[in-house]
Amino acid sequence: MASLTVRGVRKKLGANPILRGIDLAIDDGEFTVLVGPSGCGKSTLLRTVAGLEEPDEGTVLLGDRDVTRAPPRERDVAMVFQSYALYPHLTVRENLAFGLRLRKTDPAEVDRRVAEVSRMLGIGHLLDRFPREMSGGQRQRVAMGRAIARRPQLFLFDEPLSNLDAALRSQVRVEIKRMHADLGATMLYVTHDQVEAMTLADRLVVLNAGKVEQQGPPLEVYHRPVSRFVAAFLGSPAMNFVEGDLANNALRAEGLSLGYDASRFHGALPPRAVAGVRPHDVVVSPDRGAITLRVEVVEPMGSESFAHGTIGDQPFVARLEGGAIPSPGDTLRLDVDPSRVHLFDKDSGRALDAEAP
Amino acid sequence: MTRALFLALLVALLAWPSSATAQRLRLWHAMRGDEQAALERLLRAWREAHPGSVVEVLAVPYDAYASKLESAIPRGHGPDVFIDAHERLASYQSRGLIAPVPEADDAMADYEPTAVKALTYDGRVWAWPLSIKCVALYVNTRLVPGDPPATLEAIEAMRATLPRGVYPRVRVAERVLPRGAPARLQRRDPRRARRYTFVGPEAARSLQRVIDMTRAGVIPEEPSGALVSQLFSTGHAATAISGPWLAAELGDRVPYRVVPLPDVASEGGRPMAPYATVEGAFVSAHSHDPESASLLARFLADAPGAVVRARLGHQVVANRGAWAHDPDLARDPLLATFRAAAARARPMPTNPAMRAAWEPARQAILKALRGDMPPREALEQGLHRFEDVTRPLPRRRDATFALLILGGLAMALVVAALRRSRDREFRVAIRKSVPAYAWVAHAAVIVTALVVAPLVVGAATSLYATRNGESYFVGLANYWDILTARGGPLLATGSFYRVLLVTVLWTAVNLALHLGLGMALALLLARPALKMRALYRVLLIVPWAVPSYVTALAWKGMFHRQFGAINAMVTALGGEPVSWFARFSTAFTANVATNAWLGFPFMMVVTIGALAGIPKDLYEAAEVDGASRWQQFTKITLPMLRPTLGPAAALGAIWTFNQFNVVFLVSGGEPDGETEILVSEAYRWAFTRQAQYGYASAYAVLIFVILALVSRRRAEEAR
Repeated sequence: MASLTVRGVRKKLGANPILRGIDLAIDDGEFTVLVGPSGCGKSTLLRTVAGLEEPDEGTVLLGDRDVTRAPPRERDVAMVFQSYALYPHLTVRENLAFGLRLRKTDPAEVDRRVAEVSRMLGIGHLLDRFPREMSGGQRQRVAMGRAIARRPQLFLFDEPLSNLDAALRSQVRVEIKRMHADLGATMLYVTHDQVEAMTLADRLVVLNAGKVEQQGPPLEVYHRPVSRFVAAFLGSPAMNFVEGDLANNALRAEGLSLGYDASRFHGALPPRAVAGVRPHDVVVSPDRGAITLRVEVVEPMGSESFAHGTIGDQPFVARLEGGAIPSPGDTLRLDVDPSRVHLFDKDSGRALDAEAP
Repeated sequence: MTRALFLALLVALLAWPSSATAQRLRLWHAMRGDEQAALERLLRAWREAHPGSVVEVLAVPYDAYASKLESAIPRGHGPDVFIDAHERLASYQSRGLIAPVPEADDAMADYEPTAVKALTYDGRVWAWPLSIKCVALYVNTRLVPGDPPATLEAIEAMRATLPRGVYPRVRVAERVLPRGAPARLQRRDPRRARRYTFVGPEAARSLQRVIDMTRAGVIPEEPSGALVSQLFSTGHAATAISGPWLAAELGDRVPYRVVPLPDVASEGGRPMAPYATVEGAFVSAHSHDPESASLLARFLADAPGAVVRARLGHQVVANRGAWAHDPDLARDPLLATFRAAAARARPMPTNPAMRAAWEPARQAILKALRGDMPPREALEQGLHRFEDVTRPLPRRRDATFALLILGGLAMALVVAALRRSRDREFRVAIRKSVPAYAWVAHAAVIVTALVVAPLVVGAATSLYATRNGESYFVGLANYWDILTARGGPLLATGSFYRVLLVTVLWTAVNLALHLGLGMALALLLARPALKMRALYRVLLIVPWAVPSYVTALAWKGMFHRQFGAINAMVTALGGEPVSWFARFSTAFTANVATNAWLGFPFMMVVTIGALAGIPKDLYEAAEVDGASRWQQFTKITLPMLRPTLGPAAALGAIWTFNQFNVVFLVSGGEPDGETEILVSEAYRWAFTRQAQYGYASAYAVLIFVILALVSRRRAEEAR
């Protein structure tokens, strides 16, 4: 196992900058998730760490070793591909043993490790099948097994769950988490799915347009987003944003007056800003509610429901607890704890409570 | 009803005129250029003289001429009159294709005796003599000013005075039949008809003479018709022995004159006697109107016609009256010289066995010329080869037994079918699938007609002994002959097993090269960094797009010992020029090089397609797993290509196994038939060894059986 350090990595594809100066420091044994929308450069960063791409600038360190220009086979990393990339002409057993055989591992040791991995992943009965004879979930497991059997210094996952259906995805998610706990390995995981990102990560790295937007423990990133981009990306349904005037520790707009915790914001605040409120932070309060939501669509989920509507002319979603389900056309009065109100600069999108970038 | 009647009437009317013209005559010839123009002029004159008479003319390519005649005439759609050389006279006569010239004794008085003699067989004259063709000596007057050399020795002596790179003389190896009559087949005596005389001290002496001259640089090595004309027309040959056709090619590119062949001082000053070919107008024995046909043939040969042919077609006409009639003809130096040469010439023998004599004689002469064997031994070997080809056919066998077996099989099939058809379920099933049968019916009919029927006929032919049209049932005797190597050693040159070994080696080496080259180039083309990939791809597919015989002929030229591009490169690199077709190893290499060139694009295209189907992330996965470039190739690329390349390789093996064009055109079996493969060997038996179709069919059936067994085996393995 090893730590991973990425310093000032830049990469262009043609004239197109993909990575624009990435710095990362991942501790030994840490599970890091790279998350971001399509095209943000997360896969390119992962491939650069794997050695499949070479950066134009910057260095990649594995432990203390500079591997920036080293070919993949000298890095001792394992990668799980989105397509699984199982060798179709080999059986599961041969797929699992492939990397070990290339390294001329002792055959007895190869057998032992294949047995161990297949027990761990519950694929012992599949060992003599070919990839085409298995379901998507089984293939995914074999792909992970192939990485595990190698006992690499670093595991790389490139959206490994995106080809699975929802039920299977949450099941495998748990398994990956357990596997990380068992192996204690350093893992770098790329996804665009914020649920995976939140649930799996020790450290979350949000990428936007080739740069690290924010990194840290997932809950910290969730609760203290440094920008409107991060705030919008994490959480489902996404955070609501309403623009209004700031005055007397409250943001006002048509149909709404939002109090905020002024102690969090240092220095002078601009006269106008964007307030961010997560749907989950809203409570129905017919008496004190300073927010008037006109409901247009309701999504009942059983234990909760989501009311989609508008405040003034700005869209807004609220999470409602329990069985009280409003009808479209109803008007709800809502209240928000001032400590849960985020404020963002209306032009740059930076959080007003964040330190200057 | 009325309409049907009307239609019937119309059809009858339209058919009327064609059945009414008894005066319709068909004429076939293989002439070209000026000769053809002269013939057409004559035919116009004939039509003017015989209004109402229709002459349909068909120009047939020379290569297919004889076989077309042989198959068309007996079936009644051949010509009434045809023009051909006298060499095949005996063969036509033995098949009853031609009618003799009536009252020949009087009519032939007007013609050159040489020509009449050539057209006489079995005591009768079989065609109206048109022209005599033989060779004479072309002399380059710039290189040899003054009197032309009178003797062979004088030409040999010119070597010392000519500039470097200029040959005193060129001529075609196959025509090397100098004085001394090495080849003469007794024509009139059927009992001695098969005597082969390309053997004996005289023949050996003349051959030795040619070898000496080649060694001394008097004549170039490995000459061919094209080389003769090339060397002489570019001033690289002082003299050339050739026929009137060379004059047509030369134009005024080089100053020359033509003189009769020189004498040979060492043989007592006797003149070199060339062989002559006499062209005649033959009348078909199956003509609808023999009288008119005979008139037409005579019209073509007669003096007035002969003058037209001589003037317009530059023919050395056989009609003596023409020369008397038009004194201008004798003043034409070319015509006069060839006429003089013809007077000394000896007509080419016309025995049917002659056609079987050429191949072994040619092989023997070439072998001796290359110095592989002393002339005498080479000629003796030729004799054995000749005897092998003309060996007595297997004993006639009673076909009753075979017919009984065949009948029994047919009966069993019918009984089985009947029994099956009583089964109710089967009948229901059949009725249900009637529409399906209707859908495939046309395909089944076509496949039966084009594939199954020829196969069955071919297989049936292999049970017959055939030679020059004669044919009778011999059972499995052909197979027995082939599989016992005709009683000789099992691995002797030309034996089935030897040829099979060569064929297997040929297939294996070619397939390895095709796959290796094709794959290597496909991998190169697959590199994303490669610029102008599309261009390279097109260029590399070109060898495949060019017809294979064109490529084969080009490569044959490149392998020429003296003038080929390959030897030019070898010499430029400081090596000795190689006689590519003199030894098995080099001749085989030449064949393989040609076929590799022809075959790799297919494998390349297949590989490119298969490579495109391998996902890129497999390579990335392997790379991350620790595979080197080479390991990625052996562990990912190769196994992933296998499902596609396997069937392609099987196809390639079958194509190569039967690659007739390359073997036939490049090495032509040289040296001495050693590079022959099974198909080209079968071809030889059918088309150059007295039309032994039965024997050739047996070869073909054996090839089919071998390929069927091997591909079946492969299919089982693949499963």
